[in-house]
Amino acid sequence: MKTAAAIEVRDLRKTYQVRDGGSWRGKTREITALDGISFTVPAGEIAGFIGPNGAGKSTAIKILSGILRPTSGTVRVGDLVPWENRIAHVARIGVVFGQRTQLWWDLSVAEGLALLRDIYSVEPERFRRNRDRLAEALDLNGIMDQSVRQLSLGQRMRAEIAAALIHDPEVVILDEPTIGLDAPSKLAVRAFVRDLRRERGTTVLLTTHDMHDIEALADRVIVIGHGRILADSPFEALQATTLSERILEADFTGPPPALFLPDGAVETERGTRSVTITFDPQRLPAPALVAHLSTLPDLGDLRIGRPAIEEIITRFYADHAS
Amino acid sequence: MTIRPYVTSFVLQWKIGLRYRLAVLAGLVAQMWFGAISLMAYAAVYHHAPDVNAPMTLRQAMTYTWIQQSFFTLLPLGCLPAIGEAAKSGAIVYDLLRPVDLWNWWLSASLARLLGNAVPRALLLALVAGPLAALVGLNGWSLAPPASFEAALLALVSFILGAFISASIVMWWNIVAARTLSPLGTYAVGTPLAVLLSGMLLPLPLYPDWARDLLLLQPFAGISDIPIRLYMGMPIPGGVVTALGIQCFWLLALTMIGRFWMNRTISRMELQGA
Repeated sequence: MKTAAAIEVRDLRKTYQVRDGGSWRGKTREITALDGISFTVPAGEIAGFIGPNGAGKSTAIKILSGILRPTSGTVRVGDLVPWENRIAHVARIGVVFGQRTQLWWDLSVAEGLALLRDIYSVEPERFRRNRDRLAEALDLNGIMDQSVRQLSLGQRMRAEIAAALIHDPEVVILDEPTIGLDAPSKLAVRAFVRDLRRERGTTVLLTTHDMHDIEALADRVIVIGHGRILADSPFEALQATTLSERILEADFTGPPPALFLPDGAVETERGTRSVTITFDPQRLPAPALVAHLSTLPDLGDLRIGRPAIEEIITRFYADHAS
Repeated sequence: MTIRPYVTSFVLQWKIGLRYRLAVLAGLVAQMWFGAISLMAYAAVYHHAPDVNAPMTLRQAMTYTWIQQSFFTLLPLGCLPAIGEAAKSGAIVYDLLRPVDLWNWWLSASLARLLGNAVPRALLLALVAGPLAALVGLNGWSLAPPASFEAALLALVSFILGAFISASIVMWWNIVAARTLSPLGTYAVGTPLAVLLSGMLLPLPLYPDWARDLLLLQPFAGISDIPIRLYMGMPIPGGVVTALGIQCFWLLALTMIGRFWMNRTISRMELQGA
């Protein structure tokens, strides 16, 4: 087994020039996508990279993949600077962009993998071993001879992941690998990534909007917002603080009454027939809150869930803005 | 550095090209039609002005037209469709993620696409316009054989150089598509430019004296005009050396400037979205 490479990012900045109005006559303006971020992912770790749209995740991922040049700052993946040694660098990383396809529409999955074998110069013996292992782990045997255009989204995503791993990359970057997938496909992808790290010690950088992906996979969570790193801590630590919040939605048969909530809970939204309450289960356990609410008149239904990740991050950002 | 990925890229586009057999047939019919109309126009012009000393004989104009028609799809009409689509959808990032020299990688795909389209058509058209036309008695309208064995060999070398020049121009269109995130502009500008300057619309030797030599010096002449002149044994100012020299010059210039431009484009490319 090869030793996996670590990712090291120091004071990374990226500004874009954009033209207002989209024509050559518009005034140019500078947009800061990354405003000096630093982090390290040790070899063999799975790091979750989360943040709202436009936070700078994609920019960071493109720089790490070697397809974008930063304005300033340093990046090392293993011993290489991605944008300076593009060809050597991309030969040992694997990337999945959940919203794009890297397989060829006109070819079957097997043909596509064979093409990648030639592109990455994978020796025949190693290729056969990897293909069989990936086909087994990602359940591809039934669809190997189907052309990519005929695959369902879940099947295609599994094939995409196989395509990104056929050359034994030391570092894998997964950009929203579970987007649009149904529950069984999501579970299959997560299980696969977990095994990948355990069996091959691959370093994984994962972006997602699905909190369950982070919970199932990430050792570390890096929260990014407005181009800066807002938090960088082990998943448990982040969960204990920010991510521990729960929301409770209460439906009423009539207009909801005025609520007097105990400490640790706040009303965050009020509709014509419903109220949303955000609470911290460590200060106010869910059963206590439910008991408190169940005495209310006209109460129809209660649902407890997690806030959407964007909401947490948005609030997180507001808290850290200063 | 291994050559395998580039061969693979070539074979892939070649296969995709051959998958559309009906398009080959439809294209063949269209080219026969356009070819026949041009021939009739030339015949009319030449017969009504027998005393004008034209730079090409009617027979040469006909052969020139047939070969131009056969190689219509060898012209750089715009970017490689696959690259244009990838630029639009953003999947072009995957091209940058491959451990390959991007110029050679796209060039081999572009070349395969041009040849995959042009070669089957050219062979069919040569068969129909050459021996078959002669067999049914249309001798005066058919594609003439090469001027000599030597001419045939020279033309072959020249055609190969021409295919590479065309693929290099397609590469420039690929870069434009990558920059503008759309293939459409390249077709809008590329098609008329290629049709006019290659001699497809009107053979370059038939242009007025002052334009003729200038037209020979531009890159599009190297795609099919120069090879056809060599095939027919037509005199070229400066002879074979100039002919192949012009082709080599353009191939080198297009490649060197194109590579430089592409590297600049990549290092400044700001790919939008996730």
